[in-house]
Amino acid sequence: MSAPSTAAAGPARPARRAGAPARWPYLVVAAVLLWLVGYPLLITFLESLGIGAGTAAGSAANLDGFREFAGRQDEWLALWRTLWISAASVVLSALVGVPLGFVFERTDFPGRRLLGGLVALPVVLPPLVGVIAFLFLYGESGFISRAVQATLRLDGPPWSLKGAGAILLVHAYSMYVYFYLFTRAALARMDAALLEAAASLGAGRWRTFRRVTLPLLRPALTGAAILTFMASLASFSAPYIFGGGFRVMTTQIVFSKLNGDVLMAQVETVILAAMALAGLAAMQWADRAVSTTGAVRGVAPTRRRIRHPAARAAAAVAGWGLAILLLLPHATVVLISFVPPHTWTREILPPVLSLGNYAQVFSGFENLRPVLNSLWMALAATAAAVALGLVAARGAVVHKGRLGRALEGLISLPWAVPGTVFAVALATTFSVSQPWLGRFVLIGTPVILPLAYLLRDLPLTGRAALTGLGQLDPALEEASASLGAGRWRTLRRVVVPLVRPALAAGAALAFITALGDFVTSIVLYTFDTRPISMEIVGALRMQELGVAGVYGVLLTVAGAAAFTLWGRGEVAS
Amino acid sequence: MVALLGPSGSGKTTLLRLLAGFEAADGGSILLSGKDVAPLPPARRRFGMVFQHYALFPHLSVGENVAFGLESGVGDAAGRPPQDEIRRRVREALALVDLTGFEERRPGEISGGQQQRVALARALATEPRVLLLDEPLSNLDPALRERTRRELAAAIRRVGITTVLVTHEQEEAFHLGDRVAVLHAGHLDQVGTPETLYESPATRFVATFVGRATVLPGRLAGGAADEVTVEVAGTGVAWPATSAGIDAGGEVDLVVRPEGLAFTHATGDGAVPGKVVGRRYVGAVTLYRVALETAAGTGAESLVPEVEVAVAERRLASGGDPAAHLDQTVHLAPHPEGPLPRAYPRDDRAPAAPADPPAAPEGSR
Repeated sequence: MSAPSTAAAGPARPARRAGAPARWPYLVVAAVLLWLVGYPLLITFLESLGIGAGTAAGSAANLDGFREFAGRQDEWLALWRTLWISAASVVLSALVGVPLGFVFERTDFPGRRLLGGLVALPVVLPPLVGVIAFLFLYGESGFISRAVQATLRLDGPPWSLKGAGAILLVHAYSMYVYFYLFTRAALARMDAALLEAAASLGAGRWRTFRRVTLPLLRPALTGAAILTFMASLASFSAPYIFGGGFRVMTTQIVFSKLNGDVLMAQVETVILAAMALAGLAAMQWADRAVSTTGAVRGVAPTRRRIRHPAARAAAAVAGWGLAILLLLPHATVVLISFVPPHTWTREILPPVLSLGNYAQVFSGFENLRPVLNSLWMALAATAAAVALGLVAARGAVVHKGRLGRALEGLISLPWAVPGTVFAVALATTFSVSQPWLGRFVLIGTPVILPLAYLLRDLPLTGRAALTGLGQLDPALEEASASLGAGRWRTLRRVVVPLVRPALAAGAALAFITALGDFVTSIVLYTFDTRPISMEIVGALRMQELGVAGVYGVLLTVAGAAAFTLWGRGEVAS
Repeated sequence: MVALLGPSGSGKTTLLRLLAGFEAADGGSILLSGKDVAPLPPARRRFGMVFQHYALFPHLSVGENVAFGLESGVGDAAGRPPQDEIRRRVREALALVDLTGFEERRPGEISGGQQQRVALARALATEPRVLLLDEPLSNLDPALRERTRRELAAAIRRVGITTVLVTHEQEEAFHLGDRVAVLHAGHLDQVGTPETLYESPATRFVATFVGRATVLPGRLAGGAADEVTVEVAGTGVAWPATSAGIDAGGEVDLVVRPEGLAFTHATGDGAVPGKVVGRRYVGAVTLYRVALETAAGTGAESLVPEVEVAVAERRLASGGDPAAHLDQTVHLAPHPEGPLPRAYPRDDRAPAAPADPPAAPEGSR
C-alpha cells in the first residue's frame, strides 16, 4: 500500500491539524475489537496453561497440556501432516497458477477476458461447496469414477477419493488462484522498458526471463506462497470430508473438542495459532521486501497476440477446456441437486431427474430453517463487519500513531488466524459467566455464530475499507472543509461515496464467507441455529446427496447474487 | 493579490494551509478585517481554496461540485439557499470561468485546464472572504499554462477578491501577484512589488532566487549605507555596488545580474580580466560564462569565480561577429545602464548559489 507522498515538501510541517478528528470513537472501537479479537485468544492461551475460570480453582500455571501433547504420537503426526500438506499445496498451486498467470497476462486469444475472470472463480466459492463438488465428481460414486469404471469394466470404483491425495487435489484446485492473481498483477505492473533494456543488452528470451522477469516476480510469488501456505494451514473442509483417519491440526482440534477433551483442544489451538502467527510475521517481512522493489512504473508489456490459426484454435480449445474443467464441479452440484434419492445406482448418468429435492427443502419451515439461519446470521455479521471495519479503518488512516497501528492490526489479525482457532477461542471464552471480566455465556445462544462470522468477516471489510480510504486524496476532505462542510457532511457526501465500491466488494466477500462458513459453525452451532453447511454435512451423512446438492446450489446462488450486486469484479484488485 | 514565492520546502504551502486552517499554528494569529480567525475550523473560515491537484470530487458532476459549498450554506446568513438559487449561482460561477453548460459533466471527462477552472468556480461560488490558490497552474502542461494564467488573473480581477497564491515559479508570481512574498527556509525574506524584489532584493537569497544572478566573493572597499565599493576577490579591482545596509568592512557577497555586466575594451579602472568559458544563445540575449582571472592563492576560494554576462547581440542576425569567442580573454565592468551589483554580508552557511534559478518542480504538495 503506497501512502500518498504528503511528506514530500516541508521539512518541519506541524503534525497537528486544526480540525484534528476526535480520538474517543476510535478508542471505543479499538476496545471492542480487542475484546472480540484479542481477548478470546488470550483466554485460550491462559487456559491451555491451566490458568483461568475453566480450570480447577487455585491451580497454578502448568504445562500439563503441552506435556501431554508432546507425549502423543497422533498429535505429532497431525502437526507433521499439516506442515507437509501445506508445503505440497504451495508447490501444486504454483505449478497451476503461475503458468496460467503468464498465459492470461502475456498472450491474447479468443475468449481471454471471460476466461480470465472464470479462472479466478474458485476463490469466491464456499470451500465446503467445492469439496462436495469434488465428491460428486471424482468420489467413489462420482461421475468421473463411474465413467472410468464403466469404460474399463471394473468391478469396483477405480480409485477412492480419500486421504492426502484428495486433500491436495482440492487445495490445488482452490488455491492456485493466489498464484494466478499475484502473477498476473506483478506481470501487469512490470515495466516493459526493463524487458526491452534486457533485449537491447543482448539477452535472449530465456535469459531475460531468468535474469529480469523472475527476480521481479519473486516478491509476488513469495506473497502468494505464504498466502497459500496459510490458507492450507487453516483449511478444514477438505481434510474433514476427505481426510478420514488422516488428521491435520484443524480436524484434530475439532475432534478433540467434540470428544470433550477441552484442554487438548486448547493446546492444539494454541499451537496452530502460533504457526499462523509465524506465517503472518513471514508475510509482513515479505511485504517489506516487496515495497522496496514495488515502485516500478511504466508501461506494461503488450500481449503477444497468437496469430497462427492452428495455434489460436489450440489456445481457444485449451482455454475453454480449462474453463469446463473449472466449472465442472459446480455444474455437478447443480445436476446432483435434481437427482431423487435412491434412483441412481449403477448408471453413469442419473436416470431420473426431478425437482423433488427442492420441493423437500422448500416444503416446510424446519427444512428451510438452515437457509434462513445462514442468511440472517451472514447478513448481521456482514453489516456489523462493514460498520466496525469502516470505523476502524478510518481510525487507522486518520491516526497514524500507535492507535492507528493497533486498529489496523486488530482488523487484520483474524485473517491470519485459522477459523478453527477462533471457534475454540470463542467457545472457551464465552462459556463462562464472568461479566466483570468481559466473559458471558454466549455458547448455545443465537449470538455466538454471528459473532464468529463477524470475526472472520472483519479482515475482509476492514482491509477493503483501508484500501479505499488509503487511496482517498486527503485534499478532497480539505476541499470539502474549505467549502464549509462539517465533519459529518464531509463523511457522508465525500468519504463514504468514494469508499463505497471498495467497501461493497469487501462486503460481498464477507457475506459469501459467512454464508458458507463451516469451520466455526461445526464447533459453535446448535440445532436451532444450524447453518446451511451443517445441513449439507448432515445430508451427506444420511446419503441424501440430492439434498446436499440443493443446499450447495443455494449457497452458490446466494453468493453469486451478493457478488454481482456488490462485488462487480473488484475482488481481483 | 499576494503571491508566496519560494523553493520546495520553504514553507509556502504550510503557510497557505495555516491560512486555510488545515494546519494549526504553534502561536500567533491570523487577522481578517481585524478579527483573529486562527481558532476557527476550516469549514467556518469562509476561505475559498483551489488545490494543487484541484481535489474535485470525482463522484459528483461539475455542477454538483460547484454547488457543494453553496449547499453547506456557509456564505449565507440565512443558511442553505433554496434549490433554484443554488442552480442560478452555479450557472453564474461556471459562466465566470467560461464553462457555461458543463454542469452535467464529470471531472474525469474534462481537460486539465477545465478542471482547474471548475476548481476556481467551486471556490468562488460561495463568495469567500479570501481566495487561496495552491500552485494552481503547476498541473498544466507549459503550453496551456500561460493562457490559463491570463484567464485566472482576469477571473480574479473581475471578482475583486483578496487572493493568496502559492508558487515556486517567479514568472507566475510576477504575473499574478500585486505583491510578492519570498519565503526561504521557513522565513519571510521580503515582501514587495515585483519591481522592488528584482531591483532591491533585501537578502542574498532573494537576489539569487528572483531572476538570474551570480554570487562573487568580495571585500568591502569603501562607502557606506547603500552606496559602497567592493573589491572583487583576488582581482584588485573595485566595483561600485548598492547594498541593503552593510555597516562594517569585511567579507561580502557580491550579487551580479547578467545584464549588469558588459564587455569593455578598457583595461584600466574597474575592468576585470577573464576568459570566456561558455556561451549560450537564448534569443533576446546571449549568455556568456566568464572565468575571472584572480591572483592565485589570494582568496580562500579554491574555485575560480565565474560570472554570467548577458550581451544583446541581435546584430548577429545581420552577420556581425559575436561579442566574444570561446577561450577569448575579455574585460568585464559594470554595465553603465544595467543594475548595479549588490553587496550582502557574507553568509557562510549558504552554498554558492547556482547561476540557474532553482526551478525544480514541486512535489505533490
